[in-house]
Amino acid sequence: MLRALLSRLRRPPAPPPRGAVSRRALPLWQRALVAGAGAGAAAGAWLWLRRRKRQERERRRREALRALPQGDFALRDQAGTRRAKSDFAGRWLLLYFGFTHCPDVCPAALERLSRAVAALEWDPALPPLQPLFITLDPERDDEAALRRYLRDFHPRLLGLTGSAEEVRAAAAAFRVYAHAGPRDADGDYIVDHSVLIYLLGPDGLLLDCYGSGKSAEELERSVRRHMRTYQPLSPPQ
Amino acid sequence: MAAPTMEERKACWGARDEFWQCMDNHGDDASKCEKLRLSFESLCPQQWVKYFDKRRDFLKYKKQLETEGYHPPEAAGKS
Repeated sequence: MLRALLSRLRRPPAPPPRGAVSRRALPLWQRALVAGAGAGAAAGAWLWLRRRKRQERERRRREALRALPQGDFALRDQAGTRRAKSDFAGRWLLLYFGFTHCPDVCPAALERLSRAVAALEWDPALPPLQPLFITLDPERDDEAALRRYLRDFHPRLLGLTGSAEEVRAAAAAFRVYAHAGPRDADGDYIVDHSVLIYLLGPDGLLLDCYGSGKSAEELERSVRRHMRTYQPLSPPQ
Repeated sequence: MAAPTMEERKACWGARDEFWQCMDNHGDDASKCEKLRLSFESLCPQQWVKYFDKRRDFLKYKKQLETEGYHPPEAAGKS
């Protein structure tokens, strides 16, 4: 077929039969080839444009992520060691804000968080996930209180506390709402607070957050998906 | 005052659940459930008792909304 085409190119085209309209008419296979080439070019262009659009969307999403509050903290863990967010660079974090005198919501959330982390630990293909608890009640939740409280949950669950200002700054960095209620005769009070579990990627950026409606299995599935599809952000230009 | 341990929390929740079950069975007649109420109040911190009482009210209200729909209060006057 190629030889015929090449010989056709070398020979001057035959003059059209006398009386016939002078119009070039390619044989069917050549027309099919041209049509195919055209379709291929169109498909290629479409794929290239789609890839460009996707890259643009990714770029805008990354810029938006970078613009979010970085969710910083500088606190102490239950052993008294100073812990800043930068200490966890390169690690996946699953974080919850609560307080130890919490009636039901915090134990339930920590239970879900612990079960999700434990399930993910079984998978050797996944990077390690650090569970983290930050108190919203630094007045009562010192290191000893954290140790007592957290031993009922995941063994690697790290609890963080600090001064009132440090805790307030950490909560503000994650836009966490917290408000201590009125004290009773025993000095007991309940801290009203927003209930979310935060997922942070190895570059320290917030990737997702989970309300109290998300079960441990849903948490596990979502974190697994984030870990599999994770793309590190390029350093800021 | 130290925070309740996991055992104490579970004891409190159990007492709460028994009390609520009794209330459900007797149409919220507190006089029929006095013993369970006392048990509930003794096993849970006072703040938690108040919190759970409010929670029960909220859950009942939510159930009412889901089954009967929302009826705006009939009190006169626009907000």
